[in-house]
Amino acid sequence: MTASREIAAARSREGAGAADLPLLRAEGLVRHFAIRRHLFSRAGAVVRAVDGVDLAVMPGETLGIVGESGCGKSTLGRLLLRLIEPTAGKVFFQGEDLGLLDAPALRARRRSLQIIFQDPYSSLNPTMTVASILAEPLRLHGLAQSGAAVRARVADLLRTVGLSPDHARRYPHEFSGGQRQRIGIARALAVEPRLIVCDEAVSALDVSVQAQVINLMMDLQRRFGLAYVFIAHDLAVVRHIATRVAVMYLGRIVEIGDKEEIFGHPRHPYTRALLDAVPRSSPQPSISASSGGTSVVGRVLLEGDVPNPSAPPSGCRFHTRCPYVQDRCRTEEPALASTAATGDHRAACHFAEEIARTRGTLHIAPQDPDDPALASRLRRLQRAFVQDASFNEVPP
Amino acid sequence: MTRPAGRPALLEVAGLRTVFASDGGEPAAVDGVDFSVEAGRTLAIVGESGCGKSVTSLSIMGLVPAPGRIAGGSIRFEGEELLGNSEARMRALRGNRMAMIFQEPMTSLNPAFTVGEQIVEALRCHRAIGQADARSAAVDALRQVRMPDAASRFDEYPHRLSGGMRQRAMIAMALVCRPKLLIADEPTTALDVTIQAQILELMRELQRDTGMAIILITHDLGVVAELADEVAVMYAGRVVERAPVARLFAEPQHPYTVGLLGAMPRLHGQARRLPTIEGQVPGVDHPVAGCRFADRCPFGDAGCRRQDPALVPVAARSPAWASDPGRITSHWSACLKAPLDPDRLLANAA
Repeated sequence: MTASREIAAARSREGAGAADLPLLRAEGLVRHFAIRRHLFSRAGAVVRAVDGVDLAVMPGETLGIVGESGCGKSTLGRLLLRLIEPTAGKVFFQGEDLGLLDAPALRARRRSLQIIFQDPYSSLNPTMTVASILAEPLRLHGLAQSGAAVRARVADLLRTVGLSPDHARRYPHEFSGGQRQRIGIARALAVEPRLIVCDEAVSALDVSVQAQVINLMMDLQRRFGLAYVFIAHDLAVVRHIATRVAVMYLGRIVEIGDKEEIFGHPRHPYTRALLDAVPRSSPQPSISASSGGTSVVGRVLLEGDVPNPSAPPSGCRFHTRCPYVQDRCRTEEPALASTAATGDHRAACHFAEEIARTRGTLHIAPQDPDDPALASRLRRLQRAFVQDASFNEVPP
Repeated sequence: MTRPAGRPALLEVAGLRTVFASDGGEPAAVDGVDFSVEAGRTLAIVGESGCGKSVTSLSIMGLVPAPGRIAGGSIRFEGEELLGNSEARMRALRGNRMAMIFQEPMTSLNPAFTVGEQIVEALRCHRAIGQADARSAAVDALRQVRMPDAASRFDEYPHRLSGGMRQRAMIAMALVCRPKLLIADEPTTALDVTIQAQILELMRELQRDTGMAIILITHDLGVVAELADEVAVMYAGRVVERAPVARLFAEPQHPYTVGLLGAMPRLHGQARRLPTIEGQVPGVDHPVAGCRFADRCPFGDAGCRRQDPALVPVAARSPAWASDPGRITSHWSACLKAPLDPDRLLANAA
């Protein structure tokens, strides 16, 4: 299913009128953390973890958020759910300012806004059975009163995520990593949310298990019309699951747009560098180091590390590592802007147009094995590993 | 992995079996593993959690932690049998002729000593060299791994360095004695993707400059595609497939490899439902009679559950492969169904 059809399907579930309204919208979100060198010293420097982010999530879509360690993507995920308070800026859920809600009203809203964490080992209470882990949110939100109703709903949830109702009596340590992540997903689903923030939700899993959980998450999205904010550092995973993608660098979004645009026609030099850095999915016989020693033919490798987020560079924050840097970049901060031609695809680079012309239309060349007969044989063998999408029962 | 006659491999591992004592006996984490590595080449050992790839590398280094022990097989390094060596002899080899780098440099560097002191120590363990010469050799080693501002980084403590710089420092320490073999256990797993690209490029260059062999232990098939010449795929303590890297990706000959390649999301191509490998790896304490992958294999049948398949050249199972000049003899598979023919396998499955 194409991205736009998925969104359209989700919007039709929203009903007319709400169709073009974002489910969740962030305006000028900022979060600074004070850092103290010593216990008794006065707070001095601040880490600008998130430093001015605007975004919107439409019903039923997946917004991927990518970036490297320290770019602020996890802090952003927590800000979106008001799990931490912003230093400045607002978050609106279905038009309602979450910052204005008192504690009981916020708790009621949390039914619609859930989160799944990277590490299912530390986000599940080891002293609780799976049944009590899943029953807790049901009771808190008054979704099931009697013991029998809770048990029935827990059994439902376990089947929904591909586990067996028999698993309810067990403890988290009795499960594998992939199964624990399924329990984390079931806990998020228990309250019938509209949006789930997935913070590196599949990063800790082995590739075969990761594929199972990705498939499950995509099935659940279609079934329940869920929106995901999918925070991840793995670009290939994000390309697979997202409808739109935001690229973050040092607390700011540097590029945002439709998935195919971001991966096919990246306009920000940082996005290009990130894509160039991803290991190829099959061996490239043509790769050889150039004389410069820092680049591989056809790929730009960034030098150095991400600058200290407590003292971001002047002007464009990427200018210290950008291969296309000009004088203007050192002083003038570029806005996240689009042109008539690019529409919703926005990039924060003064020279996005010029850079876009320096490469062909498709940034990433196909890398399948050269021999089409071999490629087709491999695809046929792999199809034997594709499990039926309908194995999860539809709940009543 | 056949090699020209008369050219001995740098490292030859045969029938390696490493067991860990537990209440119920001594289950084998590595259970009969064979491979070899030549000078100047990179062998990737790839597999998922618990397949035995890290225990294999620790076995080579003589660093298997208690209650583990090597219960059988042979590890020949530069013609010398390592199994049965004294601890003193292994210490003389480790960090000198063979060296190892780990996933998390912060836990493998000593936080109480500067980066430079640790490199000097690695050098002076194995070479009779004065402090001043050792210092200049250590700064050279930091330059060789492209440490920015190498001379002043000598006096930095590990916590002052970024993740990428720490990994460079650890590589400098591993390479300061010019080892013939570098074992890199998930060397880029903890790093961001742009830093990973830098470290992989560095490893390529260092190998070209020094001619060392690399054993790359990884779960990431993308890293394998970037760096490896040959690949050994491990599953449940065994090598199930061995091939030159291009052959493995183009025409994998073990169903587990087929499934793994399919489960990997890609940066290009059609978005589709990801193939998955259902079920779980059999536990080491629950030995399986036949093929260890049979219960998860879409092509598995009763024969697979009876007979434990040996790792043999695919050509040995197929007269057609053996007589096809386009096929190479160095593609090995531990699957009774190899060579994998979709027409035959899918007809049987249907």
